[in-house]
Amino acid sequence: MTENKGQENWVPKIVGIVCNWCTYAGADLAGISRIQYPPNVRLIRVPCTGRINPFYVMKALQEGADGVLVSGCHPGECHYLTGNLSARRKFYMLSNFLSYIGLEKDRVMFTWCSAAEGERFAKVVKGVTERVKALGPASKLVKHL
Amino acid sequence: MEKQIRETAKELLAGKKVDVIIGYEQGTLPLQATPCFIDNVDDADKLVWNAFCSQNLAKYVHDVIHRHKESQVRVKPEERTKKIVGVVARGCTTRSLVIHLQERQYSRDEIVIIGVPCTGYVSKKKAAIRVDGAEILGSAVSGNDIVLTTAGGDTTAPLQELLSDSCLTCRFNNPIIADVTVGEPAPPMNVDAEYHDVVKFENLPDEERWAYFTKEMAKCMRCFACRNTCPSCYCKVCFAEQSQPNWVGVGVDDTDVQMFQLMRIFHMAGRCVDCGACVEVCPMGVDLRKFLKKLDKDGFELFQSRAGADMEKPPILSSFAMEDRQEFIYEPEEHA
Ligand code: SF4
Ligand code: SF4
Ligand code: FES
Repeated sequence: MTENKGQENWVPKIVGIVCNWCTYAGADLAGISRIQYPPNVRLIRVPCTGRINPFYVMKALQEGADGVLVSGCHPGECHYLTGNLSARRKFYMLSNFLSYIGLEKDRVMFTWCSAAEGERFAKVVKGVTERVKALGPASKLVKHL
Repeated sequence: MEKQIRETAKELLAGKKVDVIIGYEQGTLPLQATPCFIDNVDDADKLVWNAFCSQNLAKYVHDVIHRHKESQVRVKPEERTKKIVGVVARGCTTRSLVIHLQERQYSRDEIVIIGVPCTGYVSKKKAAIRVDGAEILGSAVSGNDIVLTTAGGDTTAPLQELLSDSCLTCRFNNPIIADVTVGEPAPPMNVDAEYHDVVKFENLPDEERWAYFTKEMAKCMRCFACRNTCPSCYCKVCFAEQSQPNWVGVGVDDTDVQMFQLMRIFHMAGRCVDCGACVEVCPMGVDLRKFLKKLDKDGFELFQSRAGADMEKPPILSSFAMEDRQEFIYEPEEHA
């Protein structure tokens, strides 16, 4: 993931870890509705945000992601009822902890986005991309081979 | 207190209330009492209680019970035996026991807790600094002072100054749960200063925090002593050694070490009782507490719960509420 770093036309690579039932479908909707949004997010589909191990986020950073976006069903709308509620606690702690060690706050972002919110998905991706772009290529925690 | 612990241990063993008692005995090294396993009345006099009992014995409780359970796997169900473990436990040790119980590692009737009020243990690192790194050949506590013997002579220091950081601000120096309690409750420690260190660190700029994190982690040689001594680290297969998936690279890259630490420390969210055992055993003097304590602080501030402090309160990451705070959630800006 490091190929175009340091180049003038650098574009961020963002890993989006998203829930199958909502955000993934939301992304689909954005697609069929032909809403334009930046192509920088690579989606990884998981069954529920409750399935996301905080290690995934850390590992993504180590492997060179310039940003990580985690998104799932709005609280109260989880397909498995409470997966996102336990995930929310985990991610609050994780978000605080990563900034505590000195990582830029905007490298790792969390949001909710339902299957009907194609437009919101596009906005989220746009916003996240802009913020990560402003930070520049990731350097902290990144493994250089 | 030591006498009472021995008497209690003898009673429990003689009355067949426990199969083994885990406590501390005189170690062979200065500044360090060694964990010991007493299974008969005659040996109970080996038990000691002093300012050098730094390890968290809950670790061994888990080990002994699980070792025993594994040995029973091939025994017919009706012939299986239970092993009852007695443990000499101060505040932080009982918190770790509470965590084990909440995480259903064993049941309450498998352990007998001899609760001991604690006034803190001596940090080996602070002692070494006090004698400028000279080899400490002997150590003794007399009254409020500690005497450290080196080849160059004796150094006397106030005990309070050499206590571990975890002890100085400990909120739970008296046992949370116990079957028998010995001694009088210990006076409270300086709990108001509990998070001072963390708050100070939080207020530094990003780059300084990052520099500190990387500097500390660069010392780590991944001996895994911190993990091995931690009562909350009991997974049969640790992510650090797992190969599928391979969470932690085995290379010498700095980020491999950082990943190991980040993952282990984060795994302690809502589970670290600040016993300081990991800090004590680390041969490289990594400042683990600076990071572990942050999780404790956040856990309390966000979810009003401290690890192992209350049997009735579930661990923060095993519970949730619809109205949990979520300020960290990103709301996209309203742009075209
Ligand atoms: S991480 Fe360290 S301080 Fe926390 S419970 Fe484990 S050994 Fe004790
Ligand atoms: S005990 Fe210290 S050196 Fe060993 S793995 Fe833990 S932090 Fe690293
Ligand atoms: S199913 Fe989407 S977050 Fe649980």
